[in-house]
Amino acid sequence: MASSSTSAVSERRGIPAAAFVEDVQTYLTQSGLDVNSSLAFLQERLQQYKLVEMKLLAQQRDLQALIADFEVSEGIYSRARIEDTDSVCLWLGANVMLEYSCDEATNLLQKNLENAKASLEVLVDDLHFLRDQVTVTQVTIARVYNWDVHQRRSKQAAAAAAKDS
Amino acid sequence: MQQGGGSDTEVTWEDQQNINKFGRLNNRFHELEDEIKIAKEMNENLEDASNELILTDDEVVRFQIGEVFAHMPREEVESRIEQMKEVTSKNLEKLEEEKDSVLAQMAELKRILYGKFKDSINLEED
Repeated sequence: MASSSTSAVSERRGIPAAAFVEDVQTYLTQSGLDVNSSLAFLQERLQQYKLVEMKLLAQQRDLQALIADFEVSEGIYSRARIEDTDSVCLWLGANVMLEYSCDEATNLLQKNLENAKASLEVLVDDLHFLRDQVTVTQVTIARVYNWDVHQRRSKQAAAAAAKDS
Repeated sequence: MQQGGGSDTEVTWEDQQNINKFGRLNNRFHELEDEIKIAKEMNENLEDASNELILTDDEVVRFQIGEVFAHMPREEVESRIEQMKEVTSKNLEKLEEEKDSVLAQMAELKRILYGKFKDSINLEED
């Protein structure tokens, strides 16, 4: 399995990357936050990621519907050509319809289809990136929480030992 | 995915990448299940359509293209449906193969992650 590079991207198209925490103690010291503030910050980050994810998923659905439409309309217009027309009319949206020669029409539809597909690809990559940041944040939250539990237990154990001595 | 309380095991960048990969595979797995369900339905619809076609006596049949129906001679409709059935079957096969591959990769990652983190990590579907 190829491993991705260890140098993480700091953000992607406006979405901040979730920094990987090497060591919880260092992370807390450096950020100057106590455990609860740190957890609150991470939880808020998680919520923001989820919001962006929902927006991107909606965009993805729209693009997929658009692409499905292209494929259908290409089919319709190419079959219409077989039925002996020299030109076709394309509905451009916003109450505009233009007449094109068959070649022009095919090219236009093809170009729009490719643009939509390219946009979809970028969007899917955005979603993958986002998903990874969500996972990293969830793991960091768990680790900070565990570290805190561990600290408390150690302190309790130390306090109990001091009392007995 | 959650970790149990108070675990001491360190999480390395490689572990994090494995967890990320597992997450992505799990998402893909669910996407595939949906796509497979749609492809199976498509297959059934095509079967029904071709059965209907056998039963009908009509010479000219209405065939749906996008939002329009076109009049077509029966033989042409038959061959188109056959062709669509073939495409859908091949697609279904491809989807099932990808699903198997994803499941295998997930099983491998589970082995690695449970191996290191044991109870501290939960990779099951809630």
